[in-house]
Amino acid sequence: MIQKSVIFHFPPELYDKPVISGLIRNCEVEVNILEAYISPQQAGHMFAILQGEEGRIDDALRYMEGMGVSMVLPVRNLVWDETKCVHCGACVGQCRPRAFRMESSRVVFDSARCVACNLCIPSCSYGAIESISSHLKRKGEI
Amino acid sequence: MPKTYEEINERIRARKAVVITAEEMVDLVAEKGAAAAAREIDVVTTATFGPMCSSSALLNVGHTKPRMKIQKAWLNRVPASCGLAAVDVMVGATSLPEDDLLNKVHPGSFPYGGGHVIQDLVSGKEVEFVAEGYGTDCYPRRRIEAALSLKTVSSATLLNPRNCYQNYNVAVNMHSDLPQYTYLGILHPGMANANFCSAGQLSPLLKDPYYRTIGIGTRIFLGGGTGYVFYQGTQHNPDAERGDNGVPVEGAGTLAVVGDLRGMSRDFLRGVSIRGYGVSLAVGIGVAVPILDEGLAASTGVGEKDLFAPVYDYSKEYQSMGRPLCRVSYAELRSGSIAVGGRKVRTASLSSYAKAREIAGILKEEISSGRFLVTRPSAPLPGSRAACGS
Repeated sequence: MIQKSVIFHFPPELYDKPVISGLIRNCEVEVNILEAYISPQQAGHMFAILQGEEGRIDDALRYMEGMGVSMVLPVRNLVWDETKCVHCGACVGQCRPRAFRMESSRVVFDSARCVACNLCIPSCSYGAIESISSHLKRKGEI
Repeated sequence: MPKTYEEINERIRARKAVVITAEEMVDLVAEKGAAAAAREIDVVTTATFGPMCSSSALLNVGHTKPRMKIQKAWLNRVPASCGLAAVDVMVGATSLPEDDLLNKVHPGSFPYGGGHVIQDLVSGKEVEFVAEGYGTDCYPRRRIEAALSLKTVSSATLLNPRNCYQNYNVAVNMHSDLPQYTYLGILHPGMANANFCSAGQLSPLLKDPYYRTIGIGTRIFLGGGTGYVFYQGTQHNPDAERGDNGVPVEGAGTLAVVGDLRGMSRDFLRGVSIRGYGVSLAVGIGVAVPILDEGLAASTGVGEKDLFAPVYDYSKEYQSMGRPLCRVSYAELRSGSIAVGGRKVRTASLSSYAKAREIAGILKEEISSGRFLVTRPSAPLPGSRAACGS
């Protein structure tokens, strides 16, 4: 079993089509939807983690492409800007999977442990943590 | 044998002073005892970095042509206080733009405010300055819109009526089913987390608990530049409850500090946005404690297992000024969890120990190289037990 984080971009014409149910039924993958914006007749996006056999994940991505959904495969679920971080550790108290932790009184971030719950984002008073979808949107990449 | 300020400063000038950080002093006193540490060490550097709401920038923006008596002013749309002389404006760290949504959609995000204006100014950025006056015979101008920066103003003073709290609460949410958005961060229901805000064993007033060397006129590291203690801070309370070692076990003393904003740095003055609460300014402060005698060696050498903070339920007792749930040591707080009512609660700090350590290191270097002398206070703070040689 592998996991893959994906940001799907849905064109406006797909807003009323049952795309994700088809993905689950046809490709036998588990879909953990972490964030979704869907508005009638507008483009939408969804941040999800797919879990399944490696071949099935590839099938799933092909299925989505076939449906007209474009996608970005982020290498991380969260963006931590160390240049803004003061290493207080407020995020550490919010992070259940311990992606953020203290080492020698400094914050370290292990992106592999991050489940993109985003609880850390409002806890950071310095704006040092950004969700991957906000980050990519700000950069114009989605 | 007690030392005097003058003897220590002679050694600093000759670059012979032995200077260590409070963190290092804890280890030294544990190893050799306070008497030996007092003989060996001349100065211990202490520091803290965290949100300190009672902070402000006092700007003399300079006279315009024609002259203007400013009645209202905004910097990047953040309102400034103008109840001073014609072109003196003061932007407080917690001031918010009038069009901020505040907590109308709870919890508010408070993206920009006075603390961020101060950060922008100290970063060398220009801010949009708008001011209005009502016009007088000597000050006829009624409005100005201009770009303002530290280069354009006549003077810029960081003026903080209360910084450097001697000790502070630990906050939990015991009674509410909803997250509590407080100035001590987000507190989840069922005591899922506990937040604290102190540099602990590095914190200045925890290391000189009776204000023996820290007083009015003490020169300090402030926001990356030089500052001074100019008075006791507001809410200074030397009569707070103290432990057997004389160190307060709750919020106690505070410092009012001042310095030239122009010599300061964004690294040690940062605007903060506290979800559901508001904005503030994180301030870096470093204070040198001259080791005049064994008593000061002992107090600067107190470690985190012997420094305590009170735990308050911010969903109930804190709001009604009730009693703390318990007290915990900074060693426990920094270990990652504390026990409250038999339950293990995860902890997180809002004060940056890493920054405090960095500041204590900078100050140590400044003193060791002869550039920063220790200061005999010109007057003691209330509650002071003046030191030998002072």
